[in-house]
Amino acid sequence: MNHTIVVTRGLTKTFEVGQQPVRALRGVDLEIQQGEFLALVGPSGSGKTTLLNLLGALDVPTSGEVTVLGECLTELSKQQRAELRLRSIGFVFQAYNLVPVLTALENIEFVLELQGVGSERRARSRQVLEELGLGDLAHRRPNELSGGQQQRVAVARAVAARPKLVLADEPTANLDGENAEILMHMMRDLGESQRMTFVFSTHDPRVVAHAVRVVTLVDGQLAGDEAKPGEAPHAIVPGIGKAPEPGGA
Amino acid sequence: MAWVAARYAIRSVGRNARRTALSVAGIGIGCALALFMESLNRGRDELFARMGALSGAGHLRVVPADWRERRDPRLRLADWQGDLAAARTLPGVTAITARARAQVLLAMGNHVVPVEMVGVDPENEPRTYRFVRKVQRGRYLRPAEKGAVVVGQAVAERLRAELDDEILATAVGKGGRIESAMFRMVGIVSTGSEEIDASICQTSLEDLGRLSGLDGAGEVTVILDNWRAAAATQALLAPRLAAGDQVLTWSELSPEFAGHMEQDKAASRFISGVVLLIVLLGVASAQLAAVLERRREFAVLAALGMSAGRMVWVLLQEALALGLAGGLLGLALGLPLVWRVARHGLDFSRYMGSSFAFQGVIMEPIIYGDFGIWMVPYVLLVAFGATVIASLYPAFFAARTDPAVALRVAQ
Repeated sequence: MNHTIVVTRGLTKTFEVGQQPVRALRGVDLEIQQGEFLALVGPSGSGKTTLLNLLGALDVPTSGEVTVLGECLTELSKQQRAELRLRSIGFVFQAYNLVPVLTALENIEFVLELQGVGSERRARSRQVLEELGLGDLAHRRPNELSGGQQQRVAVARAVAARPKLVLADEPTANLDGENAEILMHMMRDLGESQRMTFVFSTHDPRVVAHAVRVVTLVDGQLAGDEAKPGEAPHAIVPGIGKAPEPGGA
Repeated sequence: MAWVAARYAIRSVGRNARRTALSVAGIGIGCALALFMESLNRGRDELFARMGALSGAGHLRVVPADWRERRDPRLRLADWQGDLAAARTLPGVTAITARARAQVLLAMGNHVVPVEMVGVDPENEPRTYRFVRKVQRGRYLRPAEKGAVVVGQAVAERLRAELDDEILATAVGKGGRIESAMFRMVGIVSTGSEEIDASICQTSLEDLGRLSGLDGAGEVTVILDNWRAAAATQALLAPRLAAGDQVLTWSELSPEFAGHMEQDKAASRFISGVVLLIVLLGVASAQLAAVLERRREFAVLAALGMSAGRMVWVLLQEALALGLAGGLLGLALGLPLVWRVARHGLDFSRYMGSSFAFQGVIMEPIIYGDFGIWMVPYVLLVAFGATVIASLYPAFFAARTDPAVALRVAQ
C-alpha cells in the first residue's frame, strides 16, 4: 500500500540576489507517494532545483512546511538534517560529482562508511555495482570513466544505502541520448524493484517520457500535475558496464 | 575504522602536487630551523649548567638553614661530615666536597687585599671548582698540607706577591677576637677573568678553621652527572641531612644566572616561534586555497550526509599527512646540520673573545648542539602541531559549507 512520504504546504523560498529579493518558490503544495517516479519539469528559473533542495533537506524554506519521511524539516537542526540525508535520502547531481580521488567502488563505500556500516560495506558496495552492471568499473577513478558511466556510478552511490527517497537534479543534462536512456531505465528499474521514490528535474522530453507523474513548475508555482503510465522498463539495459567510449558523454 | 575517509584525505594531499610540494618544503624548512634552535638551546643549557655548577655553585649545595637569608660566610653546617656521607650515597653523584668561608684581609708589606678565603678539601676541590685547575704558576694545595694558600693572579698582583712569599691573613675570630696567621703562597691561578682572579683565595679546611676559630664546613657542594636531575636529587637528599641544614639547587643558589639562562632560552624560542608562525601562515593559506577549490566537493559530501565534525576530521587527516611529509623532510634537512653542530660546535669567540664571565661564571665560547633521540618526536610534534593548527581555520571553513548555496553557485 502506498503512503505519502513527502508533503509540502504553502512552501515559499526567497533568495537575496544583490539587493533584490527573488521569489524562487511561491506557495507550493505537493504530496509524493512512496514508489513514485516523478519528473519535475519547467523552464529555467521555475524553481525546480530549489524545490529539490528543500525536499532533500539541503535548504530550509522561507515560509511554509515541508515534511519528508515524517520529519518536519523546519524543526530539524543542521545536524539532524544531515543525518536525515545520510540515512534516508539519495542525491544524483547534474555534474556527476563523484569524489575524483576515489574509485567507483570507494565512492560508494564512502557513503556506507559515513552511515557507519562496518566490515561488510565493501561487499555491499560491490554488490550494488554488480547489480547495476557496473562491476567492471569498480576500480576506476572518475577521470577514467565516461560521462554516462560516471552518472551511473553516481546513481549507484545514491541508492547504495537503500534510501527511501532519491532526488536527481537534471541527471541527464550532460549525457547524450543513449546514455540518458540507459540512466533513466536504470533509475526506473531501481524504483520498481526497491520501492524507492525518485524525484528528478529535467528539461528533456525523452526523459519525461519515463516518468509516471509529471509536476510542472512555472515561476515558482505548480502549473500542472499529471499522472501518466510511462514507458515500460527494459529488461536488459544496453551499454551498462562498457569501457569508456572515447570522447563519449 | 574510517578507511575510505583516510584514503580520501591522503589522496587529496597529492591533488595539487606543486602546492603540496611547496607546503611540505615550508614545513620541512621550518621544522629544520626549529630543530636547530632547540638543539642549540639544549646544548647551551647544558653548557651553562656545567659552567655554572663547576664555577663553585655545584648542582646542589648543602648549607645552614638560615644561610639563604643571611648569606653570612661565618655560618657552619650542623653536621657537615654526616651531610657529606649522606650526599655520597645518592645516585648520579660524580663529585662532592666540603668548604668553609671567611672574610679576611691579606697583607704583604704595605699592600692589603680584602678577600673571601675559602677552606677546601684539596683532594676533591678541583673536581667541583674548575678554576683551580688553571694554576698558572706553582701548584695546587696538597692534602694534609699546612699553612699553604693558592690565590688568583689579580690577588697576587695587588699584594705584589710572588710564589713562596709569606702573606699575612687577618680575620675576625670566634667571639670577635682578631686572629692572624701566616700563609705561604704555593700557587697562582689565572682564569682569564680578572673578576674571578680577584676572588680566588684557597687554603685547607683545617687552616681556615684555625684562623677563623670556626670549626667544620659551611657548605657541601655536590656535582651530578645530569644537571636536570638536580631537583629530584635534592628531594632525595633533603630528608637525610642533619637537622638545621638544607640543600639548595644551583638555580636557587644563583637565581640571576638561572634567570639569564631562561631569558636566553625564551629569546631563542621566540625566534623559533616566529619562524614557525610564518610557516604556519603559509600552510594555512595553501590549505584555504585547497578548500576553496574543493568547495563544490564539500557541498556534495555535505549533501550526502557528511557531518561538519567528520569533514573537519577529514581535513585534519590531510593536515597530518602533510605534517608527516614536512616532518620527515625537516628531519632530513635538520639532522645533518644538528649533527655537525653537535660534533664541531658553534664558535662564538669572534664575538665574545676566548671566554667571558657572567655572574662569576666563565662561559666557554663554543656551544655544542644537543643530538639525541628527542629530535624525532620533537620534529614530528612541531610538524603535526603546526599543520593541524594551520588547517583548523580552513577545516572549519569547509565544514560551514552550505550545500545548497555551494551547489547553486557551482551551477
